Amino acid sequence: MTDDGFDVQGFARDINELLVLASLRGGAKHGYQIALDVETDSNGLFRFQHGTLYPILHRLEEEGLIQGSWSKEGGRRRKVYALTQRGERHVVGGADRIQDVVSRLLSVLRRPGEATA
Amino acid sequence: MSTMAGGAFADVLRQVGQGLALPLRSRVKILRELAFDLDELSADLMARGVPAEEARRRAAEALVPHAEALTALDRIHAPLYQRVTRGVTAHRLRAAERGALFALTSGVVLVEGLALRRVPLSGDPSTWLAPVLAAGGLLFALTAAKAFALFVKGDHRHPARGLNAILAAAGVTLALGVAGGFFELYGLALALEARPELAGTLLVAWLGRTAVLLAVSLLLALAGGLAWFFIVQWISVAEGGQAEILGIHPHPPTRER
Repeated sequence: MTDDGFDVQGFARDINELLVLASLRGGAKHGYQIALDVETDSNGLFRFQHGTLYPILHRLEEEGLIQGSWSKEGGRRRKVYALTQRGERHVVGGADRIQDVVSRLLSVLRRPGEATA
Repeated sequence: MSTMAGGAFADVLRQVGQGLALPLRSRVKILRELAFDLDELSADLMARGVPAEEARRRAAEALVPHAEALTALDRIHAPLYQRVTRGVTAHRLRAAERGALFALTSGVVLVEGLALRRVPLSGDPSTWLAPVLAAGGLLFALTAAKAFALFVKGDHRHPARGLNAILAAAGVTLALGVAGGFFELYGLALALEARPELAGTLLVAWLGRTAVLLAVSLLLALAGGLAWFFIVQWISVAEGGQAEILGIHPHPPTRER
């Protein structure tokens, strides 16, 4: 978020990215495990649909916030993602940003109404 | 827990593969990751008591990328060339690429011609050498265009398109050289009949002209053939990866006799 304008779409994207990063704090995971854990941990509030998870994962990987690696088990190749140190710092910074946005939003929503004449 | 994805999700994976405008290797990586996740997620849901059909439907709904996600993946994995030229209009880019290919081919043919002038025995070249060099130039242009599309541009929508043209150009180059050799031989026979006293001089001149002609055509055709072989093998390996994920055998077994 910046003070010169609030980008709602960017905020939604940031939340999705942070959810993925936060999920990986518990250890390296496959893509489907991340999707499952995010849904489970948020009690179904956040859910990745229609493959939106993959652009997020691959973008985070490109930015160096997570690291993807391939392994071969049972004759099949599988990709697993792990959080990098940069990603770890990004989660902390991102959580602060979201807290700031939410607190500003709540301060607007909960402002007492002016008495009407 | 894992089952092979090919069967259950083959159609879905094929559609995703067709929806991605990415180089084969990037496409295969995405499909491989998706195939594994689809299998594991549906198996996980089944383990929680969800019926198999419903589990597969829910896994596909969650993980299979729709148009927007496919476009995003295309942008993320676009080859460097596509990223760099993103701001250039398709028309301008095509014109620039064709211009560069023409300049490169002209340069190669020019260098080839100049190099040949320095080769011993090429002082009196065969009249067939020019068509052989022209065919070699065409062969180079076709190979360079295909290699550029595959390895630089990352345009793998129809990877095998144009490969037969390379092979045909290599064949024409060789055929022109061989045909030229025969005509040179025929010319020698005529010359010997007319001037038998110059047999030694005529024979040495013919030998030089024909040797240069055949060597040049053979080398050009061989280079083109090797380039064709390399590209075909590369495509076969890349497409084999995709076929394996989709559960399609890339080379169906031949019928037993």
